[in-house]
Amino acid sequence: MSAADRLTRLFALVPYLQNNQGIPVQQVAQEFGVSVKEILKDISTLWVTGTADEHGQLIDFDYSALEDEGLVYIHDAEFLPRPLRLSRNEGVALVIGLRALRETAGDAQRAAIDSALVKLEAAVGDAARTPVDIHVERVDPAILATVRGALAESKRLEIDYTTQSRDERAHRQVDPLRLFTSEGHHYLEAWCLREQDVRIFRLDRMLEATLTGEPAETREAEPRDLAADLVDSPDAPRAVFDLDPRAHWMVEYYHATVLSPPGAELPDDVLRVRIVGADHAWLVRFGLRYAGVARVVEPGSLADDVAAAARAALSAYDGINGTTEE
Amino acid sequence: MARDKPERLLNLTFMLLSTSRFLPKHQIRRAIGPYREAPSDDAFERMFERDKEELRALGIDIETGSFDSLFEDELGYRIRRDTAELPEIELTPEESAAVGVAANVWQHPGLAGDSSRAVVKLKAAGLVIDPSVLSVEEPRLSAEDPAFDAVLEAATTRRPVAFRYQRPGYDAEERQLQPWGVLSWRDRWYVGGFDINREGPRLFRISRVQGAVKFIGAAGSYEVPADASMRAVAAALFPPTPDRTAVLRVAPGRAHALRASAVSTTPLADGRDEIEVPFAVVSELAAEIASYGDGVVAVSPADVQDAVIAHLREAAGGVA
Repeated sequence: MSAADRLTRLFALVPYLQNNQGIPVQQVAQEFGVSVKEILKDISTLWVTGTADEHGQLIDFDYSALEDEGLVYIHDAEFLPRPLRLSRNEGVALVIGLRALRETAGDAQRAAIDSALVKLEAAVGDAARTPVDIHVERVDPAILATVRGALAESKRLEIDYTTQSRDERAHRQVDPLRLFTSEGHHYLEAWCLREQDVRIFRLDRMLEATLTGEPAETREAEPRDLAADLVDSPDAPRAVFDLDPRAHWMVEYYHATVLSPPGAELPDDVLRVRIVGADHAWLVRFGLRYAGVARVVEPGSLADDVAAAARAALSAYDGINGTTEE
Repeated sequence: MARDKPERLLNLTFMLLSTSRFLPKHQIRRAIGPYREAPSDDAFERMFERDKEELRALGIDIETGSFDSLFEDELGYRIRRDTAELPEIELTPEESAAVGVAANVWQHPGLAGDSSRAVVKLKAAGLVIDPSVLSVEEPRLSAEDPAFDAVLEAATTRRPVAFRYQRPGYDAEERQLQPWGVLSWRDRWYVGGFDINREGPRLFRISRVQGAVKFIGAAGSYEVPADASMRAVAAALFPPTPDRTAVLRVAPGRAHALRASAVSTTPLADGRDEIEVPFAVVSELAAEIASYGDGVVAVSPADVQDAVIAHLREAAGGVA
């Protein structure tokens, strides 16, 4: 409880108590999220404040109502009948929070959030135009709605999904545990019936989600250590690439490690980086995708595999536009 | 009168709220115990200034003005109730609930405190804020980059800044920026704006700012151009909207991401599927198609097919 929090509460109590004369002190405490003892301390602080020392008023409380019945009556506080307006920082914090909420909300909730933002404009002033945007990757609304529904009603889900690492389509039955966002993506943490363990699924990789009709089993499941799942495992294969300037954005996007400044044999602006792949096939796909802007430095076997995969793909175009081998 | 700071700040505020004319400093000093009992004029001045600043941070703006037409340089102070008070506001249960959930979004202690104090004020106005009314996934926003607070302040108040910035693989450099906006993308914070030295829009990742951010101008000392767009500045982070389609033939069990984006899928006699996929940029689609190797063949349009062939030839011959 910071000094700013206490002061805010003290100022807020003055109009609040005037609008709720005779309210039980426990209810005040609950409303403000503090103990009764804190509220009583606040009352005793307010009791010796007022507009001026000499001829002005001091705020007064009904002592016997408080002592005997625990009810709060406040008097001589008409100079502050309404709460103070939001400070700029309070407005900014709340507006950004609402924008973040908007990103993860369904259509029905988004309408409420948007109208709340409009209604708050008078209260927050310039903070309504604060230039901060929150971006979260969009997910198929039908899939998101199904998953949310299953979570809310504890129902079992059947999901079809692709993993980031493998170009495969997998099929699972899961009991949903929790939805969360991390690094801008939506994830479902769920008990996977086949693996008999908790697994994490990224929602934008889900191709389908349907209710099985069965209820989910309640079980005590240890929450997974997210860090362990969402970062690369130590066994994942690594490769080194030389990146043209056009590909420097990959350092950011693929969490690549820039190796120590390259030797004199590399031209300016080429970055040598290490990239971790989910598996070898992933690295081959990476090498194919970024051919021309990212060159394989090592391992040599990866370079050979990329070239071989490309030649195999090219054979489908034999006879078209001069793709026949020289 | 009481001695402690909360009492002093409350008394100062109440006194300035209940006056219509500006109150001169000496009258304020006389009326409030700790000011009256300050050991020196200087001590009172410093206390008074700090108190005004603290009230300003809470959203209470103290207006200064001349209280005496004869002595124009004698400053007086007051707080106008109409500008100090929260305006009338009515929210539906869902709207209030949204506010309640939004107030819990921040993991950053300063901003979390600010949003919870906002809710205290709204509740004091009679709003019933019950987050549970809204069934929604609760996002979490953290902002741990040391430079975040200063950058947010700069963007909110339009103050130009200077900072050391380290792009990966390069030495750190001094940069100067007129911030236009701040963006959270994949839980990372970015600031975009007009790069003063490079004379053009640039995007910076806030975690790559080293050391302190210096304000190099006053608030409001530049305008954000009307056509300035953070989306344009951050274009590299956002894919463009697809406006064409390509026809591809996909082998069974391959290229699931492409299949998922297809607007139509037709099974072929040889077991493959012919799919139509929307796209925006030929080179990006060609690169994606090429990444699936022999799993995907581009059929049309011709420029996509040509691009895929060229890309594959590069991959087939262009090794280190």
